[in-house]
Amino acid sequence: MGDTLTLLGLESSCDDTAAAVVRHVPGHAPQILSSIVHGQAELHADFGGVVPEIAARAHAEKIDLCVEQALADAGLTLAQIDAIAVTAGPGLIGGVLSGVMCAKGLSAGSGKPLVGVNHLAGHALTPRLTDMAAFPYLMLLVSGGHCQLLQVNGPEDFTRLGGTIDDAPGEAFDKTARLLGLPQPGGPSVEAEARAGDPKRFRFPRPLLDRPGCDMSFSGLKTALLRTRDQVAADKGGLTRQDRADLCAGFQAAVRDVLVEKTRRALATYMEASPEAPMIAVAGGVAANQSIRAGLEEVAAAAGATFTAPPLRLCTDNAAMIAWAGLERFRAGQTDDMTLVARPRWPLDTARAGMLGGGKKGAKA
Amino acid sequence: MILAFDTSAAYVAAALCDGRSIVATRHEYMARGQAERLLPLLEELLAEAGIGWPDLDAIGVGIGPGNFTGIRISVAAARGLALSLGIPAIGVNAFDAMQPDLARAVCPAVPGPRKGAYLRDAKTGDIRLAPVEEMLDLMQDVALATPDPTALPHQIARVAAARLATGQPQPRPAPLYVRPADAAPSSDQPPALLDD
Repeated sequence: MGDTLTLLGLESSCDDTAAAVVRHVPGHAPQILSSIVHGQAELHADFGGVVPEIAARAHAEKIDLCVEQALADAGLTLAQIDAIAVTAGPGLIGGVLSGVMCAKGLSAGSGKPLVGVNHLAGHALTPRLTDMAAFPYLMLLVSGGHCQLLQVNGPEDFTRLGGTIDDAPGEAFDKTARLLGLPQPGGPSVEAEARAGDPKRFRFPRPLLDRPGCDMSFSGLKTALLRTRDQVAADKGGLTRQDRADLCAGFQAAVRDVLVEKTRRALATYMEASPEAPMIAVAGGVAANQSIRAGLEEVAAAAGATFTAPPLRLCTDNAAMIAWAGLERFRAGQTDDMTLVARPRWPLDTARAGMLGGGKKGAKA
Repeated sequence: MILAFDTSAAYVAAALCDGRSIVATRHEYMARGQAERLLPLLEELLAEAGIGWPDLDAIGVGIGPGNFTGIRISVAAARGLALSLGIPAIGVNAFDAMQPDLARAVCPAVPGPRKGAYLRDAKTGDIRLAPVEEMLDLMQDVALATPDPTALPHQIARVAAARLATGQPQPRPAPLYVRPADAAPSSDQPPALLDD
């Protein structure tokens, strides 16, 4: 069954600087011994989105402090760690580089092996950390930067069934909040506003719902929201609270309908292979949305699959998932050397053509 | 024994210094790939000197000014090394590094973007980015001294050793960017709320 393993994880691919320690005794549930997450929301608040250079600057001076805190919280020294896992992409390259270089320094100085981890694999393997999920399971990864439907077959074996061809839903929630003067991050504030709204008053498009397959698109939805907002505001010189709530409710309903229907189709494909213990799991901050979650629970129940959602702190960016994904790689005998490359683009499913940014630099995710 | 390194421009440069003497030094020019080359180059340097990571007393690291990403590569690695080895990492800017070797009447300058250069005010110590026109004028009157990657790591090690010798606690190294991050505030202005 193998030995007890304790891994340190580092994450710095977007706007959270994080470090964590995870331990796994074979045959037992993995333990998160510590998990430190330093968000940067206030640094980016004035800019209407994450500014890569500002994020990179913060990561470079924060990541070692997070590591120190994570080790202290776990009551361990580096000598008691078996290996060091670090997000090596995909993400904002300045931040990824800061984490990778810090991890190389930690690895060189301590003599502990280095394990590069794909950030998306961290999210996709989280159900194994929280629920000891058995392969294969279906994963809807839906966050500020990503949106993919993945069949997770093994620690490094993923089949992408579909994903967004442009923006991620989390981005659309943030944009909606900005357009309506609601606070960031947009997910919780739009959801709260939508509770008092009528989802039927404004009819927003459901892009790609009329096409077969599991691919999605959300950029047109942002534009539709902007146009509708301007029409309403032009008529009377501003918005009422009810207008704003109705816009949020209509927008959320459109996102939910697209995610639920595409998930239903992905589930059908996944169920064709008759998995022994069919399961769909979600990850990413958007999975916290109660309306979307309820819709996903319904399609899971209808298909005869169990539905799993990790706690929010493990759905959003964190380093425990990186330590865990690194632990799975390390247990399989995989490590990296000091030439580990930080990658802005790194698709999980390398067998399929990339969906995003398919230019000469290759697919983003 | 102090290991010093710098990747603030298109090179990886490092030196291993014992007191005032250079034990081993190495520099390689490259437009990209510093993040992949830095640690292997440092390990080659240690091997050449016949020592290991635990033999180091301190890390000296160049903090710029220079290429933002390049500076972060070295600073992040230095902070990781300091934490894992339990030794101080000392950040040294290029002006402090060059200072002891400057001839009289020579103006230190660090190449910057758009053919400008970073200059340090001799009186206030403030560092700023001077545009190309100003640099062309300046070069009429005075010779410039710019960082030399063959000498810089040794110069950094020397300053780090001097700071270490003061016995004062040293702050963790932090990049010296000089310029703020390029970012414009959001222009989205939401419509007024009528019933507020």
